[in-house]
Amino acid sequence: MMEGRIRPAHEPVLVCENVSRWFQGVHALKNVSVTIGKGEIFGLVGPNGSGKTTLVNAITGFYPPQQGKILFEGKQINGLKPYRIAEGGIARTFQNVALFRGMSVLDNILMGRHIFMRPNPLASLFYWWWAQKEEIAHRRKVEEVIDLLQLESVRDEHVDVIPLGLQKRVELARALSAEPRMLVLDEPMAGMNQEEKEYMVRFILDAQDALGLTVLIIEHHMDVVTAICERVLVLNNGSAIAEGPARQAISDPQVVEAYIGKTRDAA
Amino acid sequence: MFYRLAGVHHTRYETARALWPVPADRWQVAIVALLALAAPFFLSSLYLGSYLLPWLIWSAAALSLTLLMGLAGQLHFGFAAVMAIGAYSSIHLARFGVPFELALIGAGLTAAVIGSLFGAAALRVKGLYLVMATLAMQYLVDWVIINVPAISGGAQATLRTPSVSFLFIPLDTLSARYYLALGWVALVAIFFLNVKRTSFGRALVAIRDKDFAAAVIGVDPFRYKLMAFFTSSFMGGVTGAVLAFCYYRAVTPEQFSFNVSIQLVAMVLVGGLGSVIGGFLGAGFVLLVPIILTNLVAGMAAAGWFTVSSNLLAHVPLMIYGALIIGFLLFEPLGLAKIYDNIRKYFLVWPFRHSRS
Repeated sequence: MMEGRIRPAHEPVLVCENVSRWFQGVHALKNVSVTIGKGEIFGLVGPNGSGKTTLVNAITGFYPPQQGKILFEGKQINGLKPYRIAEGGIARTFQNVALFRGMSVLDNILMGRHIFMRPNPLASLFYWWWAQKEEIAHRRKVEEVIDLLQLESVRDEHVDVIPLGLQKRVELARALSAEPRMLVLDEPMAGMNQEEKEYMVRFILDAQDALGLTVLIIEHHMDVVTAICERVLVLNNGSAIAEGPARQAISDPQVVEAYIGKTRDAA
Repeated sequence: MFYRLAGVHHTRYETARALWPVPADRWQVAIVALLALAAPFFLSSLYLGSYLLPWLIWSAAALSLTLLMGLAGQLHFGFAAVMAIGAYSSIHLARFGVPFELALIGAGLTAAVIGSLFGAAALRVKGLYLVMATLAMQYLVDWVIINVPAISGGAQATLRTPSVSFLFIPLDTLSARYYLALGWVALVAIFFLNVKRTSFGRALVAIRDKDFAAAVIGVDPFRYKLMAFFTSSFMGGVTGAVLAFCYYRAVTPEQFSFNVSIQLVAMVLVGGLGSVIGGFLGAGFVLLVPIILTNLVAGMAAAGWFTVSSNLLAHVPLMIYGALIIGFLLFEPLGLAKIYDNIRKYFLVWPFRHSRS
């Protein structure tokens, strides 16, 4: 089944060229190069501390790389502020749910429409003649995402009071309502039970299909990675140690060694 | 009971975002609005002028500050200075012959520009450092007002407000001044409620809650913090002008000293951060409770329950008042607004016990 998903001629969407990042003495990313094709679900795996999140943070502008280049749809994005990169069409979720805790589920997802809205105090003051039209128009868009991710029953709840599995789904909804062309998911299934995981996989596949997304996903559940990712990049200690079709890459001896050590260590 | 969600159906997104979707809330707002409109007819001028009028104006001030502190999460310990800028610029504009309506807007703009200049400088820092930076604003503005005779009218001077009219109604009578203050606080409250349901308010709350997550969905934190400073200072400036023209009618720099800034922060905290009803309740609490306590203690002493020296009488209410504030911060950090909300939720789910949040 997976073979059918691979389209041979991927037009590159995101290109990282020799990306390096230091945090003082720690060399967190060492000359990592990767090309992600349009419409692909690309996995990023590796042991803890291997630099997966750092790479994602470099792409989304939190920790711009000190060396190397990152191109999105042919345009250089390293050095841009995070909000510029968001406006450019990259949305992401966080490893530890980063929802706005003072808001309802609906408001959180509406926040994803921010880049299309024109927030302005005067528009708020003259709500009935000015802001209302815009609010309603974006509410319609958000309701489509709520439909897609089946969040109808919780949309008016505070994000604090819903379970973690749903919170992660809300975060995905927020990212999707920004209508990104590329979606970056940082451990979307961390801390989930099997059922929630299956839902999440379904939603990621649905969203990717419905919106024609390119997805970069960090995930520790290897069953998920092999099931949905066309290709993966394996990082260890900040360097890329394997890249290729998911099954092939994670059975690479170097990758096995990085995760569970060498056979001679076992003794 | 009277609070019922049953029967409240939304078939359009417009009604789902109405300010008060529950009928019982609408009734309460209508009754309070009617009472406020009718107040000059049934309240004595003492109560109207010395209790209700300052309460309304300080509520507007607390709401202006809570936009910045509650929604955007930026601490500001120099808000009295912002109001001082508004008060002094409106007086000078009015003396210069500018119509009062424009003088009010001018006061707001002056306060907003100066306030956001300090804001821009202060926004490179967070938390306690921001408090220090806004404190610096308080002292700088105080110093400038006191030491520039063109602004303060000379050292230790009192600047009287010229007599003006608003929309052809002269502000000579107490009820005219009351209605102007009422109109302003109503406008501020409605603005605040609308901000909370539009993209502007959401962007501010997003920055307050998780600034990195806000950035990653396209919010420019610096820009929105600055907008919060601008909007809040504008409202604070106009409120300062309304305070000067409707209540004090003669201003001195001491009326906008550091103590006042702290009182404003207390109003916002006791009332509940980022809440409209909290703004009103907090301002009422901070203004009126010391007066009520003093009267209460004096009354009990007069009735012969106990004897207090006049020295002690001056301090006991302050001590109780301080204890009350500490009590609030300990037992209900979300303030009076949360207590109101709890009571409302109790009735909403009655006869059951639990609501979900």
